[in-house]
Amino acid sequence: MSADHQTQRRANNESRRAAAREEGSLRTAPNPTLQPPAPGAGVRQQPGGPERSHSPHTPLSDDTRLAVDIRGRVERGAMDEARERFEELVALHQRRASRIAYQYLRDASEADEAVQDAFVKAFSHISSYREAWPFEVWFTRILVNGCLDRRKARGRRDRWLVPGEVSRADEARASAAHLASDPEQQLLARERRERIAAAVDRLDGRQRTVFMLSQYGDCTPKEISAITGLNESTVRVHLFRAARKLRGLLGGTP
Amino acid sequence: MNHRAHLAEEQLFDCYLAERNGEIVDPPAAEHLADCEPCAARYSDLARFMDGLTEEAVLGADAVFTPERLRAQQQQIARRLERLRQPARIISFPSQLVRRTMTASRSHATPRWVAGAAAAGLFVGVAVGASYQRGSHIRGVEQTLARQAATNRLAPVAARGGSPAQIAADEAFLSDLEVALERPHTRELVAFDALTPHVREVKAP
Repeated sequence: MSADHQTQRRANNESRRAAAREEGSLRTAPNPTLQPPAPGAGVRQQPGGPERSHSPHTPLSDDTRLAVDIRGRVERGAMDEARERFEELVALHQRRASRIAYQYLRDASEADEAVQDAFVKAFSHISSYREAWPFEVWFTRILVNGCLDRRKARGRRDRWLVPGEVSRADEARASAAHLASDPEQQLLARERRERIAAAVDRLDGRQRTVFMLSQYGDCTPKEISAITGLNESTVRVHLFRAARKLRGLLGGTP
Repeated sequence: MNHRAHLAEEQLFDCYLAERNGEIVDPPAAEHLADCEPCAARYSDLARFMDGLTEEAVLGADAVFTPERLRAQQQQIARRLERLRQPARIISFPSQLVRRTMTASRSHATPRWVAGAAAAGLFVGVAVGASYQRGSHIRGVEQTLARQAATNRLAPVAARGGSPAQIAADEAFLSDLEVALERPHTRELVAFDALTPHVREVKAP
């Protein structure tokens, strides 16, 4: 694991521990079912869902505070200011969102579009956002729904058309960017990533979503539970099974 | 915890998740991991595998989504948000085209060119047919003339029907024939006429 990523994760863990100490528990969130959103509907909320976990004493995370502020500005009609503030939210979540979308879609252009769509959708439906949902969870759900829709559409398309070599080209670019100095390493890294992607693709739909959110989206089982609507213990079971299957498919080494 | 009862895979995975997410690791399991070397080795293997997967994915995605690309994405999002407040733009079409689209049904629009092509094909067919017919007519006339000429050559001048009425009739017939051969009945056949050898040319040598 890269030093940067480890440091970032440690910092995240520290902040989570601090939050847990303050709150007495980890953040709680509603359990919406992970269904593709209706056109223009953004994220569907289950009746009573968000309110069930709402606690007025729960301290809000930075991005949630920002989202609430943006919502207020939109409601007041200060759209320019809202847009400006929203750019801060985009900067906060953009990299993580791109990672998740890319792992889902394995195509940089499509992932790019999915991320853009998710942010635009989040902004246009910001009035329906409730702080009972951490913004990260709310937004990730929009993103994952969008990615699932795109995968479904691609599946339909691929039934009739010959799939392109875009993802392979992306992989090649990715490898070239990192290991341009050593072509052999570049090739090995590309093969390794393709092997992992193929193995992850062979996971069952829920297992894949849970695994991706955990490993690529850096989400805790509790957050995944909020995003997917699955029970937290079910999330853990899915994660364990996904890991076991991947170890079997990849022979114990990534 | 008993050293002989090693941790199950699920317990190891729970330990990994807890450690990764900054939660408290189950104390008995943590104690066992500290004491049991095989379980500690299994735990390290699991953690290395899972972290390796994440690292590969993160490296791959970050290499594709470079800072420049992310900046471009951010600008694109800003542009799309800016466009959100603008009302939808309706592209205006020429009024004539709109009217035709409004009135002409799809079933009428499609066969129009088919009908045109059919008409053109029919016309070409008729023209070519007429041209062939005319060609055969010319050959027939030619044969008649040749027979007549042969007869005339064999018959004595006196026996050629030297009556003025007969001569006038022959002249009229030949004149009509000339006119008929020189002027096609339809203007459309001029092109075909130009391509077809005339009796005059055939007769010339």
